[in-house]
Amino acid sequence: MAIESQYYLLLSAAIFCIGVYGILTRQNALLFLMSVELMLNAANINLVAFSFYHGNLTGQVFSLFTMALAAAEVAVGIGIVLVLYRNFEDIDVTKAATMRW
Amino acid sequence: MAGAFDFVPAIAALPLLAFVIALFAGQYMPKRGAEAGIAATAGSLILSIWTALTVAGMTGSETFYNENLYTWVAGVADSAVTLRLGVLVDPLTALMLVIVSLIALLVHVFSLGYMNDEGETGLPRYYAGLGLFTASMLAFVFSNNILMAFMFFELVGLCSYLLIGFWFREDGPPSAAKKAFLVTRFGDYFFLIGVVGIFATFGTGLFAPVEAASGTMESFPHMAEMAIEESETFFGYGAQTWMTILGLLVLGGVVGKSAQFPLHTWLPDAMEGPTPVSALIHAATMVAAGVYLVARMYGFYALSPQALAVIALIGGFTALFAATMGVVKQELKQVLAYSTISQYGYMMLALGAGGYVAAVFHLTTHAIFKALLFLGAGSVIIAMHHNENMWDMGGLKDKMPVTYWTFLSGSLALAGIVPFAGFWSKDEVLFEALIHGVGTEGTLGAMFLLAYAMGLLAVFFTGFYTFRMVYLTFHGNARTDVARDPEPVRWNVKAPLAVLGIGAATVGLVNMAPVEKLTGLHIDFLHQWLDGPEEGGWPDALSTDLHHYEELLHNVPHVDPAYPIGGEQTTLIVSAALSLGLALGGVLLARSLYGVDEPVEHTDKLGGAKALLTHNYYQDESQVWLAQGVTVPLARAADKFDQGVVDGVVNGVSSVSLFTGSRFRRIQSGVVSNYAALMTLSLVLLLVAFVVLGGVA
Repeated sequence: MAIESQYYLLLSAAIFCIGVYGILTRQNALLFLMSVELMLNAANINLVAFSFYHGNLTGQVFSLFTMALAAAEVAVGIGIVLVLYRNFEDIDVTKAATMRW
Repeated sequence: MAGAFDFVPAIAALPLLAFVIALFAGQYMPKRGAEAGIAATAGSLILSIWTALTVAGMTGSETFYNENLYTWVAGVADSAVTLRLGVLVDPLTALMLVIVSLIALLVHVFSLGYMNDEGETGLPRYYAGLGLFTASMLAFVFSNNILMAFMFFELVGLCSYLLIGFWFREDGPPSAAKKAFLVTRFGDYFFLIGVVGIFATFGTGLFAPVEAASGTMESFPHMAEMAIEESETFFGYGAQTWMTILGLLVLGGVVGKSAQFPLHTWLPDAMEGPTPVSALIHAATMVAAGVYLVARMYGFYALSPQALAVIALIGGFTALFAATMGVVKQELKQVLAYSTISQYGYMMLALGAGGYVAAVFHLTTHAIFKALLFLGAGSVIIAMHHNENMWDMGGLKDKMPVTYWTFLSGSLALAGIVPFAGFWSKDEVLFEALIHGVGTEGTLGAMFLLAYAMGLLAVFFTGFYTFRMVYLTFHGNARTDVARDPEPVRWNVKAPLAVLGIGAATVGLVNMAPVEKLTGLHIDFLHQWLDGPEEGGWPDALSTDLHHYEELLHNVPHVDPAYPIGGEQTTLIVSAALSLGLALGGVLLARSLYGVDEPVEHTDKLGGAKALLTHNYYQDESQVWLAQGVTVPLARAADKFDQGVVDGVVNGVSSVSLFTGSRFRRIQSGVVSNYAALMTLSLVLLLVAFVVLGGVA
């Protein structure tokens, strides 16, 4: 028997909140990236769940796009982390605070 | 076949080319650019004479020319104004072209003696200035619309600035140049408004109608005439009033350039420039430009009795006013400067009083004899090692005979002694003013008579100061060592003097109207030249002929001649005798006071008037007071308003945003986590708001 849709949504919400919590509390840039990934995947779970609920494939196709996009985003993100490390000898996001007024 | 008219633009283009050559290649030439100027002005003179002969009908049936040659701003909509450059050649243009190019040529030749032989530096700049000056004046003369005329009018002003300030390392010339530029600019400001007004009213600035492929383009004087006939209204004014307003605005430029009261103060100071430049400015360009402009658009001024009255009064008053100041001057060129102002006053008087031919005639003769007098003065100044004070001269008559005799010829012409040029023209000016003053009814006639009286009185002063100058400079005993042994002058000084000296004695013969009226011989050639053929020809096509102007004067302001003393002939004889007698009286008074071996100053006899006259009626002082006592406080108040109120509002608004910005920027901590927290919080707040308010829709 199939699992009810609301459980998927609960799971997705939980993962999203973990991601948000990570972004708000962590200082390590890599953990930042990971938290962002968690949030993205929470959205993916939502898409697949609704796709299943409606009985068509649109949501699943869309989540594939999201994954491809996430891959590209990670590449950019890691690039930024690298530059961050080169400039500050550290990957603490709170230290890169010079570009302000 | 290419006729003379196809080459008319070249008359101005040649000196322009000389300007470029002198400017860039002048320093490599043996005479520092004078060659280019002389060749170009000689070319212009030949082309001008050819043009004049063509206008006279000696080379074919084409005797006039009026074409638009270049469109530089094409109006797109139907009602839009199209701005063009074009050439208008009628007898007035042809006459003026010949005068200007002749004087310019002689001035260039004279400059060889005055500038090159004296070892001046910066000569390429000098000859470039002369070239541009000549080019702009010539182009001004053949302009066929008022906007083009205005452009070249301004260029003439610019060139005068450059040339008056030629010796820029000294103190006087740069300040005189600035004064000349600013004072004439002040008048030109009104001229510019007038030009805009004319374009706004008529949509065209043409002086005379142009036959184009698309039909005839009407001229603005003609349209003004039609508007007055049909009693149209413009901007809430009746046609007559509006034409007067436009005419007076344009007159502002004329008063500035032609050095009429109250904008004449720049001209005596302009004597700081090199003497050949003074000759060019006074005789043929710049100062002549103003009077020429009135003559050019006479069909417009003839429509407005008020404008005519103003012109006549300004002219008559300036003639007398300037002549009285000339009486006490000690420097040769200063006397000549005031005589120029005075003589241009006569021309304005003639134009105002309906004596169109008289004005053009006096413009012609004055160009010759004033150029002569200035070049003669230049010759004396060379001889005196650039000392211009007449009290240091004396006895130069025997040392420099060519200069003396030619100068005498010019002086007799200036004083108006028969049969020299100035007599014929000045007499005609006064005669026209008299008969039109008597014949015109109401205030206009009274104004003419008042102007006539002032002009007549000025004749006496003219005779006096002219011969005071001659006696002090050339007669008596030499009063300084330099005057005892003056520096000799060469052919390049004497030749222009000789040409002009003969001209000053004879050019009056072109229009001996008194003789014509007394004897019935048809020898008033200038009159016929400006009147044109009775049927067809240029008068029909251009309506710039004397006959048309006389009709206008009769129909609109009702200016008519009348002969107060007996018939025409008696009036003529009495008028001529009166002006000749006054002139001779002035000459004889000068002779009795200064025609002695050891002349002394007699100015103390004038009493209180002496200070008034030597200070030029405190004109400069009062104008400086106007600038410092009125304009500066006014400008300061305007500045205060601008800085306080206008800028205050703007600054107040911007300080509010500056303040809020400075507070808000504090949330930009630069820490990514803070931004993330802010975003999350905002999103949560947004969601809460949606929930509370019940969704988007």
